[in-house]
Amino acid sequence: MFKLILKLAWNNAFLRLSRTLLVIIMIAVSMSMLLAIQGLFDGMAYNMSDKMLRSDSGEISIYHKDYRLNKIIANHVTDAKTIKAKLEQDSEVQAVVTRFSVDGLSATARKSSFANIIGINLEDEEKFGQFSDFLKKGTLDFKKRGALIGGELAKTLKVKVGSKLVFSTQDKNGDINSIALRIRGILRTANVKLDTSAIFIDAVRLDKFLGIDKNIATQIAIRTQSSTLQDKLKKDYPNLSVKNFLEINPMMQMMEDSMVIFNSMIFVIVMFVVFIGILGVMYVSILDRIREFGIMRGIGMKYSHIRLQIILEALFVGLMGYLVGALFGFSGLYYLENVGLDLSAYADAMESFGYETILYAEIKLSYFTNTFYAIFTASLLSVFLPLRKIKKMHPIDVIKADT
Amino acid sequence: MIKIQNVNKYFYKGESREVHALRDINLEIKKGEFSLFNGPSGCGKTTLLNAIGALDSVDSGEIYLGETEITGLNEDARTSLRLNEMGFVFQAYNLVPVLNVEENIGFIMKLRGFSDSEIKARVQEVASFLEIDTKLKSLPNTLSGGQQQRVAVARAVAAKPKIILADEPTANLDSKNSLKLMDMMRSLNEKEDISIVFASHDELVIDNVRRVIKLKDGALVED
Repeated sequence: MFKLILKLAWNNAFLRLSRTLLVIIMIAVSMSMLLAIQGLFDGMAYNMSDKMLRSDSGEISIYHKDYRLNKIIANHVTDAKTIKAKLEQDSEVQAVVTRFSVDGLSATARKSSFANIIGINLEDEEKFGQFSDFLKKGTLDFKKRGALIGGELAKTLKVKVGSKLVFSTQDKNGDINSIALRIRGILRTANVKLDTSAIFIDAVRLDKFLGIDKNIATQIAIRTQSSTLQDKLKKDYPNLSVKNFLEINPMMQMMEDSMVIFNSMIFVIVMFVVFIGILGVMYVSILDRIREFGIMRGIGMKYSHIRLQIILEALFVGLMGYLVGALFGFSGLYYLENVGLDLSAYADAMESFGYETILYAEIKLSYFTNTFYAIFTASLLSVFLPLRKIKKMHPIDVIKADT
Repeated sequence: MIKIQNVNKYFYKGESREVHALRDINLEIKKGEFSLFNGPSGCGKTTLLNAIGALDSVDSGEIYLGETEITGLNEDARTSLRLNEMGFVFQAYNLVPVLNVEENIGFIMKLRGFSDSEIKARVQEVASFLEIDTKLKSLPNTLSGGQQQRVAVARAVAAKPKIILADEPTANLDSKNSLKLMDMMRSLNEKEDISIVFASHDELVIDNVRRVIKLKDGALVED
């Protein structure tokens, strides 16, 4: 019996081929667009957080208790190098770096700007977050008083690779000191804070310039996949501030939440359109065949069999749309994941917000499973109204109208 | 087999009784009969046929199919009764357009839960008898009117119902096809011992049935 109902449903679903194809195309196009938008948004968010993780905070950062409120030299982690060495022995830690950072004034012969000088070890940073990825111009070295500068700060100061600049700040004793630097490379990290104000120099040189002990740091950044490491470190270092990525970057949490809300809204709107599409085609199809259903009931077909037939018809239309949409959607996402969406025309605006000029999409299985459930549900819901029409119908009305 | 007692049926317009469609009908149709409700348009023959077929309700009186009182059944029981005990042939054939001839003929049997092998054998048997066995894989819309009506008859007869109700089965057919259809239905009636009741005003049908029940203005006037 089920086989017969299946055949009835399949044949009827494609009885008016152009109408059904139109709905399938509508579902497929809507779904492809939805997947592309979701993939790009997630790609943007992932890209941004990934670069922030790699260029700055890692999954966990350790600071002096007061450092994040008052970024002065005195608020440093005293035995940073010892902690780093200990963390490097921990199997849950993938990479760890120490940095010393201090605010000051950067100046060229013509321009000056607020800046944040950061002493780093290039080898450690490469292990930590593939630092070389961020280099847009020049070379990645600190030879001959070399420094690396954030792209936006370079624009503000109007400096290029090879330009000279002077950075002035208070040293350990509170005296104003200056250091002459030559730009060796310009960086783009997609981390607004670093791009607009960071100047990276060799950690040893910064220690000497500030007159500080080489064992101290303002930040210990850690790469890890462990979800328990933060609690463990909080216990091990109760006098230090141990923060995770989202605590350090609350804007990212907000951004992720906004993305979820925005994606959900788009999802609901698109699925509503799909629901209306299937409802429309099913309703018209049932009105077209109301006489046929009347006769079927007249000769003894149960309402439950007719209901099953109509549900299967709606599912065939919906799921065909889903299959075509999934195929197109995946192709689109695959392209956007590998080639990306080039928005170089809006480079300035994109970079000032910390976005790459080429957006790359993410592909997640959840896009396809969520859409499947939504289309499945929309297909099921779309038959309520047509089924009500059939349930209310008396076979005799159709048969009388027939004669 | 079918007993009709004091049946009255009105058609309403708003709250007022507009037409007295069936007036105190008392009638008995025995097993194996080949009979006809005849009369001019509007005399109530189709209404009576629909009432016997549990398709339409009556306002008073009782209709029995065997021991079962049709008039007292709810919609589900009526549907089940139509499926298991009756076969229908309509003026407009009413075949399922997306199923081929074989599937249309076996449709009721499938609904009744016959096995595939039983259905296949019976469809072949009935189709051969009605001379449509060469069209089994064709879709209804590729057949002539006469062939479509024979498929409808085959569908009605395949599941071996107690009674077949045929409403104006020759109305859309030319005289040659009408005669052929009546010959075949009479042969089926004799061969399968299935009661067949027609509602028709076609002279050709009158000439071929064994019992003519005449109606006028909703009342039985001649039997």
